[in-house]
Amino acid sequence: MKETEEITLSYLCENAVLVEWPETICPHQHQKIIYFQQQLQKNLADLIIDSVASYTSLLLYYHFDKISSAQLDCILRELIKELPSISPINHSNIIEIPVYYGLDSGWDLEFVAQQTSLSIEQIIQCHSQTTYHAYALGFTPGFCYLASLPKSLRLPRRSSPRLCIPQGAVAIAEQQTAVYPTSSPAGWHVIGQTPMAMFNVESFNNQTSFLPAISVGQQVQFKAISKEHFTDLGGIIDNKSVKESTKERRT
Amino acid sequence: MNFLKVLKINGQCSIQDLGRLHAQHLGFSASGAADEYAFLSANQMLGNLQNSAALEIIFGQLTLCAQTHCTVAITGADCMATVNEKVVSHWQVHQLQAGDILSLSIPKRGLITYIAFAGGINSKLWLDSRSQTLNEQSLGFNEEKITVGSKIFCNEQHKPIPRETSINRQSPDNFYKHNVLTLRFIPQKLWLDLAGEQKQQVIEQHFVISAKSNRMGYRLSQLPKPVLAHISNSKTLSKPVTYGTIQLPNNGEPIILMKERQTIGGYPVLGNVIQTDLFRLSQLRSGEKIKLQPTTLIHAQQQLNTFYQRFI
Repeated sequence: MKETEEITLSYLCENAVLVEWPETICPHQHQKIIYFQQQLQKNLADLIIDSVASYTSLLLYYHFDKISSAQLDCILRELIKELPSISPINHSNIIEIPVYYGLDSGWDLEFVAQQTSLSIEQIIQCHSQTTYHAYALGFTPGFCYLASLPKSLRLPRRSSPRLCIPQGAVAIAEQQTAVYPTSSPAGWHVIGQTPMAMFNVESFNNQTSFLPAISVGQQVQFKAISKEHFTDLGGIIDNKSVKESTKERRT
Repeated sequence: MNFLKVLKINGQCSIQDLGRLHAQHLGFSASGAADEYAFLSANQMLGNLQNSAALEIIFGQLTLCAQTHCTVAITGADCMATVNEKVVSHWQVHQLQAGDILSLSIPKRGLITYIAFAGGINSKLWLDSRSQTLNEQSLGFNEEKITVGSKIFCNEQHKPIPRETSINRQSPDNFYKHNVLTLRFIPQKLWLDLAGEQKQQVIEQHFVISAKSNRMGYRLSQLPKPVLAHISNSKTLSKPVTYGTIQLPNNGEPIILMKERQTIGGYPVLGNVIQTDLFRLSQLRSGEKIKLQPTTLIHAQQQLNTFYQRFI
């Protein structure tokens, strides 16, 4: 089948195989990757340590002492053959993230306006009218890569990364946008801030679980809110570190 | 409960087990003991479970005071450990009494030392692991950073300590090579696409370990210029990365990802260093030299299988 020829399996190291699809950012293809990941968890739970999905690939960690790479290869190729040709995208469960796009929360709004020749209102409209697909969790826990940004908003990363931006910062870079779950260094352009927590930790029967607000494969939309609404929802503007952020890391 | 108190600390010290292997899909670093040979040896000597948490000390300089009787094993880089100012033998099990002071100096060679405790360290468990990750410390999920005054709690040991003679243990000198370390790697497409001459240049190169190396990644000196020209053309979307991934950023200085690696990366990848060589690499300091040599997946798996057999 043509489909399977386009998918490559690379046995990177002793206990991990990288499954790669064509290098294009496409929600339909990505949906297939997530479906494949779910099938692996269903069918090979005892053999799998973990699996990490990204834009066009899935890394599968397996118990190499329980199954040879040749045996695993046969199973994976069978599962790939059985993948549905079209994976419908679930639009019913869109996550809405409230964002206060202001000059005091969007530290790079003016810079982005300059670079894109858009007004700040146009930037807000562009950013909040698009529905994004969640392609990967990584960088830091709960950080979710969302794409694709409208072409008019695409800029290269900052030439020198900021040492510290506040929790909830909403930022853009190239075709991607994301929310920083915690205060951290950042190379993306900050255009706003959300009061929404990007993860929750729940304890049940002595078992703690980490629940990211966005799961890979979900749809996300941003909604502009006022500064008052932002504060009502518990948001805090960090004015001080704007100036200091390029100089030193705040604790 | 048994505990030891930290009196002095000047290097870097963290709690490590075999890592947080099931939470990489959430963005958590796998983390874990950098030199599994020394780590597993220490636990084996004490009759502990393989995954029992121990102290990982980078560049020595740690002083602990035992609050109750406890049994410890010290392995890895030799820090001329003393108990109450008397030098004790390295790669050995020692009994500490309440009030005993265990002190590590700067190692003459090597980098990482383990102090394992009979019964293992009892610290905050987060997503199936006690391993501490520097970049995630601020999230508050890991045990607090170890500083002067920190208490290291240990579980009760139920099993007797194995007798020295009952352990089928090889000398550490057979594991750590004392000439230039050759890192064997499983090649990826980028390597396979290089011309024979370019491959030869890489194989013959002595790479110097940069001072910017840490538990997250080891940075090396620049690749030969002709190889660089070929590589700077390739651009890829961010992909999951793994233990031992050799990344090639634009400056041509390879980064070998270690235990505290991130989960996803965007740089072109030359291949993956095999795990048994990564344990050896973790003991090398900045300024030391390494070489690269391609190998096969089968060979890598055999090496790792044989490695783990020693600790069963």
